[in-house]
Amino acid sequence: MPDALAYERVALRYPGAASDAVGPVSFCVRRGERVLLLGPSGAGKSSLLHAATGLLPEAIDGIRRGEIRVEGQPADARRPAGWADTCGYLFQDAAQTLAGFTVRDEVAFALENRAVEAVDIPGLVARAMARAGLPTDWAGRRISNLSGGERQLVALAALLAQDAAITLADEPAASLAPQAARRMTELVLARGRTALVVEHKPGPILDRIDRCLALGRDGRIIAEGPPSEVLVAQGPALADNGIALPLGIRLHLAMPEILAPAADLTDSLRGLAPGRRRTEALRAAVLPDPVPPGETLVTLRNADCAPAFGPVVLRDITLSLRAGEVLAILGPNGAGKSTLAACLAGLLPPRAGQRTGPPGAVAFQNPEAHFSRESVAAEITAATDSATASDILARWGLTLVAGQHPFTLSQGQKRRLALALLTETGRWPVLILDEPTGGLDGAGEAALGRRIRALARGGHGVAVITHDLDFALSVADRAVLVAQGALRFDGACPALLRDEARLAQAGLLPPEAAPLLGWLETAC
Amino acid sequence: MLNGFHPLPKLALCLAWIVASLLVFRLSFQIALFVAASVLLLVDARIPPRRLLALMVPFALFGFGFFTTSVLFRADTGFAFQMAREQGGAPDAAPGLVLFFRVLACGMVSAVFAATTDPGQFVRALMFHLRLPAPMGFALLQAMHMVPDLRAEMLQLRMARAIRLGRPLRRIASPAEIGALAIPALAYAIRRATRAALSFEARGMQPGATRTHLPQPPITGRDWTLLALGLGLLVAALSAVGAAGP
Repeated sequence: MPDALAYERVALRYPGAASDAVGPVSFCVRRGERVLLLGPSGAGKSSLLHAATGLLPEAIDGIRRGEIRVEGQPADARRPAGWADTCGYLFQDAAQTLAGFTVRDEVAFALENRAVEAVDIPGLVARAMARAGLPTDWAGRRISNLSGGERQLVALAALLAQDAAITLADEPAASLAPQAARRMTELVLARGRTALVVEHKPGPILDRIDRCLALGRDGRIIAEGPPSEVLVAQGPALADNGIALPLGIRLHLAMPEILAPAADLTDSLRGLAPGRRRTEALRAAVLPDPVPPGETLVTLRNADCAPAFGPVVLRDITLSLRAGEVLAILGPNGAGKSTLAACLAGLLPPRAGQRTGPPGAVAFQNPEAHFSRESVAAEITAATDSATASDILARWGLTLVAGQHPFTLSQGQKRRLALALLTETGRWPVLILDEPTGGLDGAGEAALGRRIRALARGGHGVAVITHDLDFALSVADRAVLVAQGALRFDGACPALLRDEARLAQAGLLPPEAAPLLGWLETAC
Repeated sequence: MLNGFHPLPKLALCLAWIVASLLVFRLSFQIALFVAASVLLLVDARIPPRRLLALMVPFALFGFGFFTTSVLFRADTGFAFQMAREQGGAPDAAPGLVLFFRVLACGMVSAVFAATTDPGQFVRALMFHLRLPAPMGFALLQAMHMVPDLRAEMLQLRMARAIRLGRPLRRIASPAEIGALAIPALAYAIRRATRAALSFEARGMQPGATRTHLPQPPITGRDWTLLALGLGLLVAALSAVGAAGP
C-alpha cells in the first residue's frame, strides 16, 4: 500500500530568491499516521504543505524540484483542485480563506465542488457542524460577523465536511482559545486520521502525534522520529534552531540536575522533593522577575467599550495599568479583548465612562497593518534610529531578511518585525500586544518575553492579549479575565491560571505549567 | 412581505419599475413611484426615517443640479430639455424636476431591493436558477465579505498610522490620510483575493467542473402572485399616465 504522502528530494524556491526556501527533503506520511512538522519561522513548513497537492507551483509562484506523490500518484497528475477529495487544508489564516457568505455556505462549499447529491448536503453540513461543536443556529450567520477564532472553527467544520483522507494543517489552533483548540486537535488528530500538521507549540498536541519531523534553519530535516525520542534526545539541537520545546523538556535542559527529561511535566515532578534552591530555581523558570509597580499610567473607569462600527461589547469596565506592570488580558474567542485593547490604548474612545492617561500603542493581530516601508531594514530605521538598526535586526532574527519587502516574509518573521517596530522604540509608555506569539517559533517567543520584561523594568506598562496561557504566566504579573461582556477576574496571574473552574467557565484550560504551579504552592 | 419574496422575481419586478421610470417623463409618475418605494422601505423593510433620509442623500445629490436650476433659477438645463423632448415629456412640470425625482425614484426602488434581499441568497439564486458560473458567484460573495473586512482593515491601518505618527486617531480620515492608505488597502485587497483563490482551488473549485448546490428556496406560487400583482400595478399606472394624455 503506498504512503499517503511521499516527498522525494523536494526543494522549493520562490521567484527571485537566491536560494531554496526549503529542502531538499525526503520524508513520507503513512496512512493513519499523524506527523508533526516542526521548524523555526521561515524554514519553509507552510511551503511544504502547499506543495503537497501542487498549489505551489501551480497557484503560488515558485519552482519545485524533486517529486511528491499523493497516495502513490504524482502530485502533478491532477490540478490542485483535483486533490480536494484526498487532501483537506486548514490554512494559517482561516479568516481570509473562507468562501461562503454564511456558515452553511462555507461548510457546504467542498461538498458542492465534489458534486455530492444536493439532498445529502444539508445533513452532511449539520453533522460536520455538530462535530466541530458549532451551535445549529450558527448555520445562517454571516461569515463577516464572526471573530477570527470563530472563523477558524467554521474552517474546521468545513474540513470535516470535506472528509478528505489526508489533512494538511498549518497552525490550526493558533488563534483559538484553549478549549476550542483542544476540540480542534481532538478532531484533526484523532487516532487513525492521516495528518501533516505544522505547529509552533508542540506541547498541547504531543499525545496525539505519531512522528515528528524537525526542519533546521536551512530548511533541511535535522531530526525525525517518535515525539519522545526527537524532543528529548534532540532537544538541545532543536532549541538551537529556534524550535519551541514542551515546558517539561525546556526545564530539564535548563536544570538537568533538578528535573528528569519528560515531555509531560507531571511525570518530571512526580516524587520531586521540595527544597529552597530547587523551589527558587523552578519559580524563576516559569514566573517573571518581580518589578516594583510605579504610578498608574492609564485608567478606564466605568467604560463601555465598542468596536468602531459595532455595538458595545464590554460594559462598565474599570481597569488600570501601572508603570512596570505586565497585564495579561485573557478570555475566550470573541470576548472583546481586542476592543478592550483599543480602548485602553486610547485609539477608540469608550462609548460611556472615562479613560485617563497618555496614548498607547497596540501591536495588532495582523502584523501587516504596521508596515509602511519598502524593506525590513527601512521599517526598522524609520521607527528607531540607524545606529541601532543592525542590533535590533539581529536581536529579532531579521538580519538575513533585512533587504526583503515586509509582505514577502513568513508569518513568524512578519510578527517579529511588527513587534520590533513597537517595542524597540520606547516611544509609548503604554504598549498593548494583541496575540503577539501567533506564528512565533521558540526563539522568537523567548526574545519577546525578554523584551516585554525589559520594557516593564524600564517603567513601561505592557498589556498582553493571548490565548497562550504559559506565555502569559511567564511574562505577566497580573491578569484580567474578559468573558460575557465584563471583567470576571482581576488579580495575580498565577492565581487565575490555577483556578481551573474559573478558566473552564471562560472556555480556557490550565497552562502546561499548571502542575508546576501546584508543586510550587505545596513546596512553599 | 418583501423579505420573503424570492430574489429573482423581485429583481425582475424592480427592474420593470426602474425601466418604466426611465421611459415615462411625467413628474406625477416619478413622485408616485418615489413615495411608494419610500413607504415600502418605512413600513415593510422597517427602515427608520432618519436612515431612509440618509439613503436618499447620494441620489438627491446626483439630481441636485437639475433641482436647483429648475427651482431656484426657474430655468432648465439644455440636457433636461433635450431629455424631455426625446421622451415625449409632458408640460406638467419643469424637466429638471422630473429628472430629479426620477433619480430619487430609481434610487428608492433599488433600495427596496437591497434592503429586503439577503445578498448571499441572491447570489446563490443567480448560480442556481440562472446558471451564473460558480467561480463568478463565489467571487461576488468574497467581494461582499471584503467590504466589511476592508473597512475594519482600513480602521486598523489608520490606527497603526496614528500610532506610528504619534497622533490621535481622527474621527474622519483626512484626504492626505486616505491617500497614504490607498496603496496599503489595495495591497490588502489583492492579498486577500489571492488567498481566497488559493483556498477555492485547494477545496476543489474548478472552472467548468460539474458541481451541485445546497438546496435553494424554489420560486413559489406566492412569488409569482406578487410578481403578477406588481406588474399589474405597473400596467395600471402606465395606463393612467397614458389616459391623462400629453
